[in-house]
Amino acid sequence: MPKCTINGKEVEVKEGATIIEAFKTMSEDIAHYCWHPGLSIAGVCRLCMVDVEGARGPQIACNTVVKDGMVITNQSEQIKDIVRWGMDFHLINHPLDCPICDQAGECGLQEQYMKFGQYDPEMNQQKVKKRKVVDLGERVVLDSERCILCSRCVRFTDEVSKTNELGIFNRGDRSEVGTFKDKPLNNKYSINTVDICPVGALTSKDFRFRQRVWYLKNDDTVCNGCSTGCNVKAYFNEEGLFRVKPVYNEEVNGHWMCDDGRDIYKYVNKEHRLLKAKNNSGSQWSELTAGKAMQELHNSLFAEIKAAPEKTGVVLTGQYTNEEYQAVFATLKELGVTQAFHWNDTDSDDFDGLLIRGDKNPNTKGLQNAASAFGALKSVADAEAAIASGSLETVMVLAPENIAVYSNYDKTFAALSKAKNFVWFGANKTECFETTNSSNTWMIPIKSFVEKSGTFTNHAGLDQTFNYVTTVVAGALTMSEAMTLFKGETLEFDLRAKPMTSMKNNHFTLNRGEL
Amino acid sequence: MEVKILSEHYDKPSYKSLDGYKELGGYEDLAKALKMDPKQIVEDVKASGLRGRGGAGFPTGVKWGFLPENGEPRYLLCNADEGEPGTFKDRLMMEAAPHQLIEGMIISAFAIKSHKSYIYIRGEYNDSIRSLEKALAEAYKDGLLGKNILGSGFDHDMDIYVGAGAYICGEETAMISSLEGLKGQPKLKPPFPAIEGYLGKPTIVNNVESLASVKYIIRDGVEGYRKHGTEKSAGTKLFSVSGNVVKPGNYEIALGTSMKTLIMDIAGGMKPGRKLKAVIPGGSSTPILTADEAMSANMDYESIASFGSFLGSGAVIVLDDSNCMVDMLGILMHFYHHESCGQCTPCREGTGWLNKVVHAILKGEAREKDLELINGISNHMMGKTICALSDAAAMPALSFLQKFRDEFEYFIKEGQSKVRGVGYAQMHH
Repeated sequence: MPKCTINGKEVEVKEGATIIEAFKTMSEDIAHYCWHPGLSIAGVCRLCMVDVEGARGPQIACNTVVKDGMVITNQSEQIKDIVRWGMDFHLINHPLDCPICDQAGECGLQEQYMKFGQYDPEMNQQKVKKRKVVDLGERVVLDSERCILCSRCVRFTDEVSKTNELGIFNRGDRSEVGTFKDKPLNNKYSINTVDICPVGALTSKDFRFRQRVWYLKNDDTVCNGCSTGCNVKAYFNEEGLFRVKPVYNEEVNGHWMCDDGRDIYKYVNKEHRLLKAKNNSGSQWSELTAGKAMQELHNSLFAEIKAAPEKTGVVLTGQYTNEEYQAVFATLKELGVTQAFHWNDTDSDDFDGLLIRGDKNPNTKGLQNAASAFGALKSVADAEAAIASGSLETVMVLAPENIAVYSNYDKTFAALSKAKNFVWFGANKTECFETTNSSNTWMIPIKSFVEKSGTFTNHAGLDQTFNYVTTVVAGALTMSEAMTLFKGETLEFDLRAKPMTSMKNNHFTLNRGEL
Repeated sequence: MEVKILSEHYDKPSYKSLDGYKELGGYEDLAKALKMDPKQIVEDVKASGLRGRGGAGFPTGVKWGFLPENGEPRYLLCNADEGEPGTFKDRLMMEAAPHQLIEGMIISAFAIKSHKSYIYIRGEYNDSIRSLEKALAEAYKDGLLGKNILGSGFDHDMDIYVGAGAYICGEETAMISSLEGLKGQPKLKPPFPAIEGYLGKPTIVNNVESLASVKYIIRDGVEGYRKHGTEKSAGTKLFSVSGNVVKPGNYEIALGTSMKTLIMDIAGGMKPGRKLKAVIPGGSSTPILTADEAMSANMDYESIASFGSFLGSGAVIVLDDSNCMVDMLGILMHFYHHESCGQCTPCREGTGWLNKVVHAILKGEAREKDLELINGISNHMMGKTICALSDAAAMPALSFLQKFRDEFEYFIKEGQSKVRGVGYAQMHH
């Protein structure tokens, strides 16, 4: 393993590592736009210049392999001057429309100008005019004037999505990113181009103009969109969640995530959520808090079920955490209930070769693991049949949270609600709730995946534990909490205030991560 | 004095055809070469001191020596994308003696053990394309190309590829990209073409004149070839003299001949009543020389380099005292702005910026500090990009400003040309 000295500090790197990778391993600052660890080397922004002792002149760090004993610096006056001018070259034709640009606050040009630029601009000429608001495809918009032509997006479609929609057209300072006629950017991974765009050239139609990034906090979690379990960062504030971006995990998703996964935050926001518990034990709906509802369920149903457990069944979906499954199965065991059913509207687990899997539940594997100690899971059709025949009188349902991937949601709801006692645990509300067939319906609001800590087991059996991100619906419970209350026990909350953090480290400081 | 080695028979129309070429000793050197050890040819080309005639002046034999020593398929590409402003020697060679190039290429291919070559011709060179197409057909018909050439057991195929008008495709890796069907943009080095070139295989790219010269190294031997030229700049070379001289044209001279002889004697000297002002010695990318410098320089790589310029492709552009240097630089900057491929930021933005600043001067809209700005932009374009187009734009800007600063200052102050006494609009009607 070659050793080299970077800015006076010695570092050992992997065989064949480039100088820029060496800089990254030691978290040393180095200016760059075109280099991205998940893409091939383009070497076009010319900003990662370094002095290598004994070399003919400044070298680009991204295409120079570290050799043993190399002495490298980017702190010389010459290099700083080159980088300053390099920044200027990037900015002379840039519109500097930061006040109306969606990227402002997380822009590579802003960040690197403050770090490496800080010169007095000399550009005194007309800027090059290019196309604005170019509709590239279903989800992405291009502003060519803001583009610095780093070619990351082009390389992404060439090398990662392998769909080749994007190209750089024309030449010189008239160069522009674009698509071919009738071949829009419509692949399943297109928003990754927005993530890797270091400037405001590519913006997501879903996110643009909806929130200034400095009003957003973010925290890491795991995508609940399919059984891959991509590591993601959810961006949120008091109004709810606004977007999701991938977080690098070599074992699971690399640097990327799919476009469908970008939508998972939508079912989390208040307008789609069950805010309070609801009960209909006659002809009238009444609302009550979730805790109160669980208490009443304990009083009215717990003993009844325990007396005749064979008339009770639980329908489960692969959208809950391992911890919640354990709590549910423990409760069932205590009650003597033996009938558990598996509801999954996506039966195949096809793989598209990159990230997307056919099973649209994040934790089917975790459910199966938890159930294996309990006994075989029957299908949801069996539950419907048992209800129809009257052998099943009480049904508890752990409803899906990401309802878009449940194609038979309404139908299943209608069939299951024919049970005499119908308890529906779910995060979302839909119109079908109005027409329950049961004479004793209970709806309990459950926390979404960003509101709880827990573990998902992905398709490959990898356990991924994630932490609480934010609260959207204050009155919702986790399944574990619901089971505790159902058993008649009390919940304990930690009511101590969190210690104050300094302004610099608080939630409002934007944590964009690496460029 | 002209020394006609390559161009000995260029004035004879019959030399264009295979029969005429053969009558004058054509393809005899190929027969001789095919009996030699390929390694010996490479050694001979190294020893001959032949340097790349396309512009960079890199020793041809040394370039060939970079090829890996294995049986991997390799390509020979002839760079006939002659685009450097002021250069028109390859065109003459391809039109007057297409078989000379083909013969040189087959010998070179034999030396580097390549079985496939392409001639990448500038798309505007219609006559050259036709001439070479005809010559290739003749050569194939005569068994000089294809399987078992002249009974030697050596197979070689040759094709023509026509460029689409981009200056940058004269850069060897951009040419390879273009030939591969990609956008004509230079590739990041390393890897160098000799290791990973066309279709990822080892590739040698040589200029038309370099490849044709190989024939004469075989014919005359190393000693014979070295009879002309200097120790470090061996042999003869074609120079394209243009500008305000009495007899512009292509002239072959021994390297080391004085520029004074080339311009004042061979090219007929300045037009009546005109005084030499400056010379661009090696194509528009090379730093300009003042009259004094030009008159004491010799036409070899070292002498021109001692004046801070380059022999380049051998395009000698002669300017006289009627030429406004600001206007001249404006033309060059427009060219490089138009031709930058747009890949590397300093070149993409710098060429456009330089063009705008120089034209601001021409339009009387410039500030005094813009001259320093031109220096700043140019200095930060030099050596910062994948290929040399950025340097090619920066070098004339720096040298024009350094050597004719008074004309630029005058233009900024007065809004008109010091030489012509009028503004930009009148200069260009």
